Amino acid sequence: MKGTVLKVENLAVRYVTEDGIVQAVNGIDISVEKGSTLGLVGETGAGKTTTALSVLRLIPDPPGEVVSGKIELDGKALMELPESKMEKIRGGLVSMIFQDPMTALNPVLKVGDQIAEAIKIHQQLSQDKALQKAREMLEMVGIPGARMNEYPHQFSGGMKQRVVIAIALSCSPKLLIADEPTTALDVTIQAQVLELMKELKEKMDMAMIMITHDLGVVAEVCDNVAIMYAGRIVEQGTLEEIFNNTKHPYTEGLFLSIPNIDDRKAELKPIRGLMSDPFNLPPGCSFCDRCDYAMDKCATEKPEKVHFSPDHFVECHLYPDNKEFQLKGGKG
Amino acid sequence: MSDRTLSRKMIPATKKRSQALDVWKRLRKSNSAIAGLILIFIFLCLAVFAPLIADYENDALKMNIIERLQSPGADHWFGTDEMGRDIFARIVYGTRISLFVGVISVSIALTLGGTLGAIAGYYGGKIDNIIMRTLDVLLAIPTILLAITIVAALGASILNLMIAVGISNIPGFARVVRAAVLSIKDQEFIEAARAIGSRDHTIILKHVLPNSMAPIIVFATLKVASAIMATASLSFIGLGIQPPTPEWGSMLAGGRAYIRDNMYIVLYPGLAIVLTVLSLNLIGDGLRDALDPKLK
Amino acid sequence: MIKYVIRRLMMLFPVMVGVIFLVFFIISLTPGDVATIILGDGATEERIKDLREELGLDDPLIVQYGNYMIDLVQGDMGKSYSTGLSVAGEIKQRFPNTFKLTITAIFLSVLISIPIGVISATRQYSIFDNIGMIVALIGISMPSFWTGLILIILFSLKLGWFPSGGMKGIMSLILPAFTLAIASTASITRTTRSSMLEVIRQDYITTAKAKGVSRRSVINKHALKNALIPAVTVIGLEFGVLLGGAVLTETVFSWPGIGRLMVESIQRKDTPMVLGCVIVFALSFSIVNLIIDILYAFIDPRIKSNYS
Repeated sequence: MKGTVLKVENLAVRYVTEDGIVQAVNGIDISVEKGSTLGLVGETGAGKTTTALSVLRLIPDPPGEVVSGKIELDGKALMELPESKMEKIRGGLVSMIFQDPMTALNPVLKVGDQIAEAIKIHQQLSQDKALQKAREMLEMVGIPGARMNEYPHQFSGGMKQRVVIAIALSCSPKLLIADEPTTALDVTIQAQVLELMKELKEKMDMAMIMITHDLGVVAEVCDNVAIMYAGRIVEQGTLEEIFNNTKHPYTEGLFLSIPNIDDRKAELKPIRGLMSDPFNLPPGCSFCDRCDYAMDKCATEKPEKVHFSPDHFVECHLYPDNKEFQLKGGKG
Repeated sequence: MSDRTLSRKMIPATKKRSQALDVWKRLRKSNSAIAGLILIFIFLCLAVFAPLIADYENDALKMNIIERLQSPGADHWFGTDEMGRDIFARIVYGTRISLFVGVISVSIALTLGGTLGAIAGYYGGKIDNIIMRTLDVLLAIPTILLAITIVAALGASILNLMIAVGISNIPGFARVVRAAVLSIKDQEFIEAARAIGSRDHTIILKHVLPNSMAPIIVFATLKVASAIMATASLSFIGLGIQPPTPEWGSMLAGGRAYIRDNMYIVLYPGLAIVLTVLSLNLIGDGLRDALDPKLK
Repeated sequence: MIKYVIRRLMMLFPVMVGVIFLVFFIISLTPGDVATIILGDGATEERIKDLREELGLDDPLIVQYGNYMIDLVQGDMGKSYSTGLSVAGEIKQRFPNTFKLTITAIFLSVLISIPIGVISATRQYSIFDNIGMIVALIGISMPSFWTGLILIILFSLKLGWFPSGGMKGIMSLILPAFTLAIASTASITRTTRSSMLEVIRQDYITTAKAKGVSRRSVINKHALKNALIPAVTVIGLEFGVLLGGAVLTETVFSWPGIGRLMVESIQRKDTPMVLGCVIVFALSFSIVNLIIDILYAFIDPRIKSNYS
């Protein structure tokens, strides 16, 4: 361990809308070590993006509201910083890659300028120097430098995502947050982009948060995994622990709902039902309605954390009384 | 942006009937739309019950030189005009004309422009091209100037006025209806109707138009407002409703010469125009927001 | 880029030919015999017949149109029925006045509306935004001829700051230009605000913020340019409304432009003059739209690259 880059404690975020209050993130703790990658896994609406935007303090307000939480990035308490200091941190210490490269680039600005802008802000370079550096960044992500004078619409989806990556990495951030960076891309391009990110991460010795719902991506790039459900982290551990010693019924459900390449005859077992209404979360465990192991108290009581190792914990009523409990269809 | 899209996506998922209800619920929440509805309701009442409020012959039409240019008071709430007629009575009867001409001319534009737009959008290709290029010619002349030219040629009368304002609004309606039809015609339920052998005009009238009503209703509401404005404008330059018939625009034209000492003579008829147009604009805006909650 | 301009110019011709035909056709619907109108009821059969021949009124409409077009290409728009003066000459003399008025008005509109629209959008639902939007809505609901009269009453008759009409110096331009500008200011403000609101919700704005771009620069550099695309379209459309409005405003303020000329000519049943005025209005409008389209290509690289 080389020290902690990001430490999030008890983060809670909600959106106040006309139709009611959405409790998007409900008290989560995350920490990311230097040079390591944390996978943040969950379905759409689990609060992954909200968590990521909170770290950058970019929750749209209104309707978003950070209710509580401490965020410490590279030793700086972000929640206390004034906006002007925060601007220095965004894109400098921490940067983010967005889900949809098609909409993430400004259509009326040249890609070179879009990369150079970040460089100019954080490294106080002249326009010429910044553009020179932008060209190098573009080449680093595998795009000929000559294309820096083109506009986003002249690039394909995969190329655009490379540009977005170039922007994010242009100031060598300590932490990179990638929000489903490959979801919107073709399968063949997905692997290339993922490979590129892995390579650059090693090269620049960054920590990374990989937001995804794809366990394949997690297996490929992550060191640690946090499983998110309805705004809470229901299970967290090292890659090994989560994959081989699955504890939460929801995590198990995620594994059972992906096809198994070794056993093509195995039946897929999707998780039944839909995620709880975020306007109206149940008092007990949010996964209760969909859980095959649900007990009476699951509906009424919030489960506590149960630790299996310093890194591995689960929030589930199955374990406090019987730590040896084994999930039925689990891999472990 | 998974969390943000979630709350938005929930809205259009609801069914048809409750959609109308939803729209009404959202409309009701908007203070300005309600203000607009109340205002237009008052004007509608004035138009409908005009004979109960004032005597058309005696108050609104008959010249009364002895009582000319009287300031507002108990006898004449808004004063009297240069012919001694009661301005309040004339405004009340003017409401009838303005609303009538506004609605009829928009109906003309909606029927003709809507048909052209629906045909252009539904069939596409060459037909679309011919219709839209022809309408481009109409669009090249600013709306009000086109209306002025038509009335100037046909002669000033209430019918010609409605025709002129109606025709000059055809291209706008054609465009809106065409866009609405285009956005709907390739959806699967239209394919399905075609697959079971429905005829084209049945598909357009029964399936395409009802599903593309929202933008058309909004546009029509806003256009009634501008048609009322156009009516008043034409009457103001002597090309619309002819005196002595009480019409807001021609009241302004008549009172123009007397503004130095009697500003009320142009103040009230003008306010009547502003309030009517404003109420329709408020409703149109409210409807648009209610139909498209995305922007709120 | 040049290709694009040429293409757009080429599109202008058929439209103008169509416009002139349409207006020609509409005006030919005028009831009554033109020759009788010109000569008055007391004229002899003989003289009426001669004049009909001279003006080519017995030819089929399409021939009359053809002749008119041939003359028009040579800059000849016929003679006024009421004064006998050259229509083209009269319009040439009056057009600069209308140009001055409308350009001032659109300039005022853009200058006022874009900043207000942007500020309103960035402070959605603030007091500034709410008041601004109410004022804008009232602005588009006021008929220009009424606003003009009210401004005359206030600033000319009561306060005596500006002349109530005519065209003498810069002071006389202020009230009519302002009157004309109100509606378009209101409507451009509304469009700027709503397109700005749309733009600041886009992902690329979040990208810009995530890069550490300051709030001010996000708005001025990233959002505004995108928001201007719809705003510029509306500026073009509003120019049409403004040209129409000029007819009324010029009437109210006795401004010697082609709008007032047109109204006077209609009252005198001076067909060639009316025809000439409408053509000039339509041509100006089309040219403005051409300029707008070219401007568009400068703002939006996606359009430019379609034609390069």
